Amino acid sequence: MMKESGEEIVLMKGNEAIAHAAIRCGCDGYFGYPITPQSEILETLAVEKPWETTGMVVLQAESEVASINMIYGGGGSGKRVMTSSSSPGVALMQEGIAYMAGAEIPGLIVNVQRGGPGLGTIQPSQGDYFQATRGGGNGDYYVLVLAPSTVQEMADFVDLSFQLAFKYRIPAMILSDGVVGQVMEKVVLPPFKPRRTEEEILRECPWATTGRKGGRPINVITSLELRPEAMERHNLHLQEKYRTIREHEVRYEEHLVDDADYLIVAFGSAARIAQKAISELRGEGVKVGLLRPITLWPFPTKRIKELSRQVKGILTFEINAGQMVEDVRLAVEGRTPVTHYGKMGGIVPTPDELIDRLKEDFGIVES
Amino acid sequence: MGNIISPENIVYQKPKLLNDTDMHYCPGCSHGVVHKLIAEVIEEMGLEEKAVGVSPVGCAVFAYKYIDIDWQEAAHGRAPAIATAIKRLWPDRLVFTYQGDGDLACIGTAETIHALNRGENIAIIFINNAIYGMTGGQMAPTTLMGMKTATCPYGRQADLHGYPLKITELAAQLEGTCYVTRQSVHSVAAIRKAKRAIRQAFENSVNRRGSSLVEIVSTCSSGWKKTPVEANQWMEEHMFDFYHVGDLKV
Repeated sequence: MMKESGEEIVLMKGNEAIAHAAIRCGCDGYFGYPITPQSEILETLAVEKPWETTGMVVLQAESEVASINMIYGGGGSGKRVMTSSSSPGVALMQEGIAYMAGAEIPGLIVNVQRGGPGLGTIQPSQGDYFQATRGGGNGDYYVLVLAPSTVQEMADFVDLSFQLAFKYRIPAMILSDGVVGQVMEKVVLPPFKPRRTEEEILRECPWATTGRKGGRPINVITSLELRPEAMERHNLHLQEKYRTIREHEVRYEEHLVDDADYLIVAFGSAARIAQKAISELRGEGVKVGLLRPITLWPFPTKRIKELSRQVKGILTFEINAGQMVEDVRLAVEGRTPVTHYGKMGGIVPTPDELIDRLKEDFGIVES
Repeated sequence: MGNIISPENIVYQKPKLLNDTDMHYCPGCSHGVVHKLIAEVIEEMGLEEKAVGVSPVGCAVFAYKYIDIDWQEAAHGRAPAIATAIKRLWPDRLVFTYQGDGDLACIGTAETIHALNRGENIAIIFINNAIYGMTGGQMAPTTLMGMKTATCPYGRQADLHGYPLKITELAAQLEGTCYVTRQSVHSVAAIRKAKRAIRQAFENSVNRRGSSLVEIVSTCSSGWKKTPVEANQWMEEHMFDFYHVGDLKV
């Protein structure tokens, strides 16, 4: 259904929503390689043919390695470009992501996670929390990581990622998973926003390799610097930028935390399962709240620290062996017990399993 | 005798796009000559404000210090992927890569073959000196049979190391390439021909005729452990026997 504002209400998969949102938010190019469970992104773009409407370039690359270097090249020339993949494909991209971080190139990488390690499984997982938030490549850097928990957020985070990526000249990642990628939900697609004109790009990205129009000094995109003092200066500059991002860009959502005795911390699809568990626990009189980090980096450390003074215990619920729990423990600094519950191998835990585990971990006896 | 050094007597000038920075290349290396040709061609075509180069990992990693145009420095072997994106997103620009044989014919073989096969409107300048120069003279995919390097000190032999790769011959078979040629810069005549080839490749990029590959059979006097003169002679006697100079596809 098309609204007057240009928004459109549709029922679609999370992966499809990413593709439509990209076309609508003025994305200049998508470069990607097929891998389950995210191939609908490239397939949807191929069906929509945005090169005939908005002028957006869509290219199936020869590998994830090529894809990420196309993002490095396209972003380096000032364009809004993106790629998408799933866990082992994103592992292949890490070299390029490190180059982008080093050369301060904006761009969007969508990771619709599957179980690992290695080839793993095609079923959903959140096993790439470390890969996403620890900078999977070499050197001291971070990538800005957004974790959608609904199809709506899949759509909304595309434009948001580009805005943040260009604001800070940093690669941004949408860390989704097989559940959010494949589930069909109602989504409000944003109105069409035109791609930036050449003049707008030159204004917004005076550093980009667009050709030295008007005889300006040359622009060079590189992460190389052989003089240690200069390389240290560059690293200090990057660290300063990361501090600014930590200060200004932390995003999270809270649910029933005001009177909570216990806190569940969960992101993405796990947060949806946690919500169901919380409503059942509340029905039993157990006061449980949810903190859902939306940015995994920067992490809502400060808020979790505050809440750790209020609650009797924190359970970190992830579809993995326990990765984000390390960040939660770093925030809590031992003030309250922190436990983890999760499953691996592509198995998605049920709300009942989470309820039982929470009661067991914190000695909550049925009234 | 009047002063003969006056503007009307100038018969040769360094291209303006070639910076006055001291080059880090060794005496006798072909890179300097090829850099000069690229600068001349861009200047003659009037593309100073439309040219974007992609430099490799290898001796030419600092190409951006010498030729005064916009550059992106690629990860090892990935230059054709970077150039693909820039050209597709900025179709009216001249986009070219500058790569050595380790970069293009080994670690970046996939990116090279697929960019060329897709017919990306980019030009690839390929410096083939049959050795890894920057890392200190190790075996390259292009190292000749019997040739001694740091990692095949007793000479390249098929059972241990496999065979030298003629990637330019491969490229000529691909539907996406419109121009594939092998040149050298060891003599004035060769330099003139190489310049014409680079110009043809750059025109193809600007006019979107498909992919161009210009291989330049080159010397690496340091890696080969020869004087500049010996290196040139060795190249003529050995390299040209295996890497035949001339057009492969026009």
